Amino acid sequence: MDRIYRVVVERCIACGKCELACAFAHGSEGRPSKTRINIFKRGPELGTPVVCFQCHDAACAAVCPTEALVRNARTGAIDMARDRCISCRMCVAACPFGNMLWDETYHCVQKCDLCGGDPKCVPFCPTHALEYVPADRAAEKPEPFAWTGALAP
Amino acid sequence: MITLTVNGKNVKVPEGTRLLDAIRCAGFEVPTLCDHPALEPWGGCRMCLVDVTRTEWDGWCKMVVSCMFPAEEGLLVLTDTERVRSTRRVVIDLLLARCPDTPLIQQMAAKHGLERTTYEPNPAPTDCILCGLCTRVCDHIGVSAISSVNRGAGREIAPPFHEAPPDCIGCLACAEICPTSCIPYETSDSRRSIWGKEFEMVRCARCGRAHITRDEAAHFSDRTGVPSAYFDLCDACKRTDMARQFVKLSEGAGTAP
Amino acid sequence: MRIDSRARFEEAVAACRRAAEGRKIEVLVCCGTGCLANGSQAVAEAFQKEVEARNLPASVGLFTKKTGCHGFCERGPLVVIQPEGILYTKVKPEHAGEILEKAAEGGGAVSKLLYKDPATKKAVEKYGDVPFYKNQTRVAMRNIGKVDPADLDDALAHGAYAGLVQALFDLTPEKVIEEIERSGLRGRGGAGFQTARKWKAARKAKGERKFVLCNGDEGDPGAFKDRSIMEGDPHSVLEGMVIGAFAIGAHEGYIYVRDEYPLAVVHLTLAIEQARRRGLLGENILGTGFDFDVKISRGGGAFVCGESSALMRSIEGKTGEPRQKYVHATDRGVFDCPTVLNNVETWADVGAILHKGGDWFASMGTAKSKGTKAFSLVGKVKNTGLIELPMGTTLRHIIFDIGGGILGDRPFKAVQTGGPSGGCLPESHLDYPVDYEKLTEAGSMMGSGGMIVMDDRTCMVDVARYFLSFLMEESCGKCVPCREGLKQMKAIFDGLVAGRGVPGDIGRIERLAEGMQLGSLCELGKSAPNPVLSTLRYFRDEYMAHAEGKACPAGICRDLTAYEIIAEACNGCGSCARACPADAITGEKKALHVIHQGRCISCGACYTVCPTDAVRFFPKRELAAVQETGGAS
Repeated sequence: MDRIYRVVVERCIACGKCELACAFAHGSEGRPSKTRINIFKRGPELGTPVVCFQCHDAACAAVCPTEALVRNARTGAIDMARDRCISCRMCVAACPFGNMLWDETYHCVQKCDLCGGDPKCVPFCPTHALEYVPADRAAEKPEPFAWTGALAP
Repeated sequence: MITLTVNGKNVKVPEGTRLLDAIRCAGFEVPTLCDHPALEPWGGCRMCLVDVTRTEWDGWCKMVVSCMFPAEEGLLVLTDTERVRSTRRVVIDLLLARCPDTPLIQQMAAKHGLERTTYEPNPAPTDCILCGLCTRVCDHIGVSAISSVNRGAGREIAPPFHEAPPDCIGCLACAEICPTSCIPYETSDSRRSIWGKEFEMVRCARCGRAHITRDEAAHFSDRTGVPSAYFDLCDACKRTDMARQFVKLSEGAGTAP
Repeated sequence: MRIDSRARFEEAVAACRRAAEGRKIEVLVCCGTGCLANGSQAVAEAFQKEVEARNLPASVGLFTKKTGCHGFCERGPLVVIQPEGILYTKVKPEHAGEILEKAAEGGGAVSKLLYKDPATKKAVEKYGDVPFYKNQTRVAMRNIGKVDPADLDDALAHGAYAGLVQALFDLTPEKVIEEIERSGLRGRGGAGFQTARKWKAARKAKGERKFVLCNGDEGDPGAFKDRSIMEGDPHSVLEGMVIGAFAIGAHEGYIYVRDEYPLAVVHLTLAIEQARRRGLLGENILGTGFDFDVKISRGGGAFVCGESSALMRSIEGKTGEPRQKYVHATDRGVFDCPTVLNNVETWADVGAILHKGGDWFASMGTAKSKGTKAFSLVGKVKNTGLIELPMGTTLRHIIFDIGGGILGDRPFKAVQTGGPSGGCLPESHLDYPVDYEKLTEAGSMMGSGGMIVMDDRTCMVDVARYFLSFLMEESCGKCVPCREGLKQMKAIFDGLVAGRGVPGDIGRIERLAEGMQLGSLCELGKSAPNPVLSTLRYFRDEYMAHAEGKACPAGICRDLTAYEIIAEACNGCGSCARACPADAITGEKKALHVIHQGRCISCGACYTVCPTDAVRFFPKRELAAVQETGGAS
């Protein structure tokens, strides 16, 4: 795994572009229910993105009876094999962070799988609140965001 | 890796692959009804029958169900011989007699040249094709609340004694996996019922939504060891809580988490 | 008590033989289930009481013994007096006294109770001269009728476990398998698979735990050979299983007995306890260090549990459903361990083969079917019962010489062999030898040895329908071709016998039969069309008559048949009126009798009893014409 997905909460302006990007990446109509990243508004232009942590000791993968949730060694994400999902929703209940979501179209669960190593939300985030950084740089403290130009208060 | 030939085309697959997957690797398709990638193959519907032979068999073939037959080195597979097609036709014809009003069966029968069954149609049509997927998934989850009862023509899927099954946790996996959607159930933010069992629901302490049944919570607790209080919040509220946690953490940035 | 060496075994056998010699006069009362149903329990008790009452000195050595099935079930309750070998038939409790008088006198017999050969019309004194027994070669059933199944000592005196001793002390497991291979033994449960080949595969298979199983499910209607072996000589089965376990390296076994055989369970349980106590079963068998023990597993009343993979699931406590056997049971069988499953009769043969040698067994039979086979001969034959003969014996010899010919001397029509998986063979095949390949070639199969003889008063379409309804009830229902196919096939036959048949029915039957043969998961479904296809092959005209002509040539199908009394032939004896269950016949003594068609149920009882052949049957649709020309109405 050479990259890590990183969320810098302070930079999120709750614009919702990541949600749209994710929804479009997983179904052509861009329906809001198809997003695997969720923004929680906590004030005007302030948001908290919540997305799957790809947990080291994932509760969802542990509880899945059909091994439909499996670690992808290359991306480090927990991938979901749709054809093995039996819609029992045990993972939904098991995830401590509520990051297992329901896909009404396919009538099974859905989760962030880092789009197979090329997370579609990252390039759309205007403030770089979402980053896909080389693993050895992931622990570095993020720079405070420079509110310049059009985004200056 | 082993090599076999499907309809004249060579294909290489890992040892231990079942024939159905090898056939698909070679780019061919075979009809199935009781097969599901998440469950052990069962061999009950007989639609996936194919003819197999080997050069040393001098033309003698045997018909096997590809969902269970192991792919072997040097196997010669024919998925569309005359007798394979006619046997599949007999099978789907029989199913159409049993389930004349079921779209899935009607469509599959039409693909085999049948608009109507040539046998006696079922005087009490049902949508249940007795593929066993519901009972198999319930066994797989480790609950086994329903099973097939009675032998032969009287075979049906039912909970024990046709009463509300005490073991059912209300996960709805059986209804979800049923290819003809013939297992009725009701689920909403306030209640859930299936197989004649009305479930006691766990209501989220925050938003009040009935997000899982008490039986599901008990089942998860048993399997994972988490205390039942874990399920006091629904997944959406857990997410909101997580969001709030992030804020707290980032506001206290600089301090070790 | 425990036999822990070869020497001790030989001593024990010698002691048992000496004890047996003290029984100078043995009264062997058949207490197999058939004779028990005919009241032989009371007969045995009567003998025991009479012996006690006489208070004879021990030197006389008069001894009553309850044995297993003697085989001549038609003539039971049976009693044999040894050493003279006198056979008494249809014995009642009140006969005990006079039989004992004659036996103690030491000469002569109670002539009224002897078997009378219908061919010679003479009474036959000796068991060995009765045609039913004279022509048999008993290997699997060698001791049935001679030993008390509840007494291990008696079994030992008659050679039980001698084969085991040879196997454990003189041979290695591989050599045991070689001996079985030399004998040519093939599975006696029906499939006829080479026993040695199965054992070799299990021996080679990897696994810490291995199992040997005995298939005592015997579900074929009309078959009861396994019942008689388990009831009458349980030690023959146990001996075979210990030898088999030794050969493949198993230490555990199960005897699966169908639930409907309670006496077999009782005798097997007793035999197991006795064998264990003597060191012939359990730990350290005969002091050789070899361990093997068995448990009894009772069936739940399902024919399908006679199928090997369903039987194994049943033993595991699961529903008796077969599984696809691409992985053989010899690799992964019961509890996922290498398993050898053999039929009761196969196990019973094993001990004899190890004792007398594979070459001895192979000296009997045909080129590909070696040894002897047990048959349950039933149906419209004079001597119904249980027999064992060398393979290769012709059907004619079995049915006419041993079976005594057709009941009532009616014409022979067909013989059904192999149970619901088998087929019917007509008169043209009477000289076929009983042999696995020959019977299969003719469209039937050996099966477990059931042989149902049919006369001209049998409708072959109805026979096929009977087997279909049996299989429909017994199908497990897992796979579509069998579950739905049998239902649909039976529906077509219901139509044929009720007059709703159409000419296209035969084609539909043939297409469906092919689909079932190719598509079904297990042999139940695959061979279900056999009775249909074999009757179609040899009796197609009967099918055509039902489908096209709406007539039953045999006069059996009630909806298609009407009965009439022909005026010229009737002598007014009234037998028909007395036989009629529906009170449909009236007539004065010595005057013409008349069938009231409105009440007649077409059962044919009148036809069977009429001494002057005045009752005839016709297709119902022709009744009006018949009545016009010469019947009486």
